[in-house]
Amino acid sequence: MATAGKPRPIDERRAQFQRYKEDVKKRGKPFYPFAMFHDTVMSLVVVSVIVGLATIWKWTSFGPHHDGLHQGLLGPEYTAPADPGTTSFVPRPDWYFYFLFYLLRIFKWPDTVFLGTVGIPNVLLVLLLVLPFIDVRRERRLSRRPVAVVAAVLTVLSMAVLTWKGATAKEALASEVINSVPSWIKAEKLPAAAVPGAKLFAVSGCTACHTYMGTGSSALGAPDLTNIGTRHLGITFQINHLKCPSCVNPGSPMPKFASLGDARLRQLAIFLEDSKGPR
Amino acid sequence: MITRRPPSRAQIRRERMQAAANFPLDWLEERSGLVGGIRYFLFRKVPSDTNWMQTLGSATLTAFIVQAVTGVILAMYYKPTPEAAYSSIQNITDHVTMGWLVRGMHKWGASVFIILMFLHMGRVFLFGSYKYPRELNWIVGVLLLAMGMLEGFTGYLLPWDQTAYWASVVGINLNGTAPFLGPFLAQFLRGGQEIGADTLTHFYSLHMLVIPGAIGGLIALHLYLIIRLGVTSPPWSKEAAGEVPVDGVPRELRAGLTRAGDGDGRGNGGPA
Repeated sequence: MATAGKPRPIDERRAQFQRYKEDVKKRGKPFYPFAMFHDTVMSLVVVSVIVGLATIWKWTSFGPHHDGLHQGLLGPEYTAPADPGTTSFVPRPDWYFYFLFYLLRIFKWPDTVFLGTVGIPNVLLVLLLVLPFIDVRRERRLSRRPVAVVAAVLTVLSMAVLTWKGATAKEALASEVINSVPSWIKAEKLPAAAVPGAKLFAVSGCTACHTYMGTGSSALGAPDLTNIGTRHLGITFQINHLKCPSCVNPGSPMPKFASLGDARLRQLAIFLEDSKGPR
Repeated sequence: MITRRPPSRAQIRRERMQAAANFPLDWLEERSGLVGGIRYFLFRKVPSDTNWMQTLGSATLTAFIVQAVTGVILAMYYKPTPEAAYSSIQNITDHVTMGWLVRGMHKWGASVFIILMFLHMGRVFLFGSYKYPRELNWIVGVLLLAMGMLEGFTGYLLPWDQTAYWASVVGINLNGTAPFLGPFLAQFLRGGQEIGADTLTHFYSLHMLVIPGAIGGLIALHLYLIIRLGVTSPPWSKEAAGEVPVDGVPRELRAGLTRAGDGDGRGNGGPA
C-alpha cells in the first residue's frame, strides 16, 4: 500500500490513464465510420502516389530503344547486367541509405571506420529503442518539452544534411580521373614502369573510395594513397591485398580485384609502391 | 389488457428470412467469437479530436499491403539465379501484362513505405504517444522500422544489375567490419566466400519470407497494442477525449480531465 503523503509517480500515471479511458468511453467517437474515413482517404492517396510514381518511372525511361536503360525522370528501369569483372562501377545504395553512405566518408580506415559502419547506426538504434525509458515525464505538449524538440530538430537536420550530401556526393568518373595521370607522374616523379599502373588505377574504380593527390572521393574509410609507397609494403603484399583485401586485412570493406588478372595487378602494385608522395 | 394477435403469415416469413440472413454470422460468432471481435474493433471509441496526422500509421500499413501484394505477383515471374535474374526482371518490365506497373509499384512503394514509417515515427514522437503505457508499442515500432530498412537492403540486390550488385558488395563488406560478429554476418549474407548464386537465394529468402514474416507478426502485435491501449489524443487536447462536455457539467468541476486539474499543478496536456 502506498503510504499517506505524496503519491508515487506510477500511481499518478495509472490514475491518469484510467481517466483517459473513461473520458474516451464517454465522449469519444466510434472508430467506424469517423476515424476510418480519414484512414481510407489517406490510404487512397498513398496508393495513388505509388501508382503515379510507377507510371512516371515507366513512361519517362522508355527511351528510343525501349531497353529500360534510358535515364528518365526517376532513373532507369535497370542498369546494365551485374558483372563481377568490372571494377569501374561506383557503388550506390538506395536513397534512404544515403545518410549511412555519407557517414562513411567521414570516418577513416582502419581506426574509426567501424564507428561509421556499425558504431553510430547501432547506438542510434539502441537510443531509439530505449527512448520511452529516457523520457519518462508525463508532459506531452511540445512547448513544455524543449529537450525533445531540440533533439528532434537536430536529428531531422542531420539526417537531411547527410542524405543531401550523399545524394550530391561527387563521383570520381574514370574519364575525368585519367586526365590527372600526367600531373601525378610529374609531381611524384613516377618512373616509366609505374605509368601503366597509374592509368589502370585511374580507370578501375579505385578513386570511388580512395583519394590520390586530391583526385577521387574518400569513402568507406578508404585511406589516401598519395604516399602509400613510403610504407614499403612490397609488390607481393600489394598483389595479394588487391586480390582479396579482407584476407590480408580482416574486416576490410574493399571489394576484391582478382578479376583484373595477375599482369594488371602487378602493374597496379608497381604504381602503388612507387607512389612516395610529391617530390 | 392487450390481447396479442397471432403473427400474420407475412410476419412469420419476415422473421424466418431474417434468421436465415443472420445464420452465417451467428454460426461464425458461436464458433469463433470473431464477429464480436470485429464489431469491437470497428465501434471502439477513439478520442473525438484525433488528427489527420494520426492516419500516417494506417497509411504505412497500406503501403506494406501494396508491397506484399505486388511482391507476391513479382515472385511468380522472378527467377533468383545469377543467370536468369536480370532477364526475368526485363521480362517482367517489358513483356508481362502490367508487369511494369507491378514492378514499378513495388520499387516506388518501398520508398513510400520507408518515408511513411519515418513520418509516423515523427508524429508519435511529437505527440509524446510513446509514453506510459505505450512504451512497448514504441519498441515494436522501432523494430518494424529496422525490419523495413532490412527489406530495402535485401531487395536492392535482386534485379542483379550493376547498381544492385556493387551496392550489395559494399553493403555486405560493411557488415563485415563489425567487431566479433561481422565476419560471420558477412559470410552468412554471402552464403560463402564470393557473391554469387547462394548470395542471391539468401537475399531472396530473407526478402520475401523471413523479414516479411517478422514484419507481419510485429504489425499484428502493434495493432493489438493500439486497440488494447486506445488511440492517443493530440497533446494540445484540453481534455483526454477532447470533446466539449455533453452532460452540461461545467469544465471546472470535472477536475482531472482538464490541464489545470491534473494534480501536479504543472499540467501535462491531458492523459495519454
